[in-house]
Amino acid sequence: MPDTYMVPEVLAAIGRECSRSTSYPITASDIRKWALAVYYPAKPPQKFIDAEYATEDFDPFAWGPQKYESLLPEDDGSVIYRHGINESALGIPKWEFIVGLNGGMDCQYGVRMHVGDVITDVKSVGQWSERPGKNGLMLMTRHVSVWTNQRGEEVKRTINTGISY
Amino acid sequence: MTSVGDSIQPYVVTTTVANWNRFAAINDEFLPHSMDDQAAIAEGFPSAFGMGNMQWAYVHNMLRAFVGEDGNIITLEIQFRRPNTKGQRLSAQGKVTAITDSAISLEVWTQDEEGNQLAHGLAVVRPSKK
Repeated sequence: MPDTYMVPEVLAAIGRECSRSTSYPITASDIRKWALAVYYPAKPPQKFIDAEYATEDFDPFAWGPQKYESLLPEDDGSVIYRHGINESALGIPKWEFIVGLNGGMDCQYGVRMHVGDVITDVKSVGQWSERPGKNGLMLMTRHVSVWTNQRGEEVKRTINTGISY
Repeated sequence: MTSVGDSIQPYVVTTTVANWNRFAAINDEFLPHSMDDQAAIAEGFPSAFGMGNMQWAYVHNMLRAFVGEDGNIITLEIQFRRPNTKGQRLSAQGKVTAITDSAISLEVWTQDEEGNQLAHGLAVVRPSKK
């Protein structure tokens, strides 16, 4: 375990845009199946069965984007980073961790997602930090994800925090 | 009439691999520690545990019911504190902390049947005008 994760490569990466993904058009079936899963075993509200719009937590990138491009010159874009970023293309060391956990999410919502919408996700490096824990020094990674629809309207802006130790 | 200090209707669900497998299937989130006790135990947990994204969804379900048909969730932030282990009766809960002309702020959390908080956060919502 290193003495610090806040190495120059990490500090230099903060704020950099890393990737742009474009979803397939959202279908009524996508919206319906998502609602059935997140309300299980209860029945979802009828508006989600009728797919009037998607639940806020719906992810149109769940089974892969229609188009993916890396915004990092050091990355050819051949590997899709759905949740994270290409850390090695940013020069970030490959630390060995016992476990990686979802630390939390912070989301601002804009317009709703509807059938036919095509969502674009631009991911960038947020503010990383570290703190001591009972299992040693923990690394908190933060990735910023901004979704817009085909009209350029912001759908949501999310900061995902990962915890590794 | 909603007032500061009010608790909102909780969203309650017993969580097992049946919930997590369905979510894994729609979200392509097939995590060994959410499907296999041994994988979770190897990571230091007592049993398989659910995805943070599922608790995130349950808090949304609660808030969505609170804001009503035409209401909106404006912001939500959640930090995960404990794993949602297999068989827990998970309850998403919320308490009103502030009210303005256009929005309601809430403290939100998930807890197990013994009252242990699994996740905690803040939300701002715009209730339906109907």
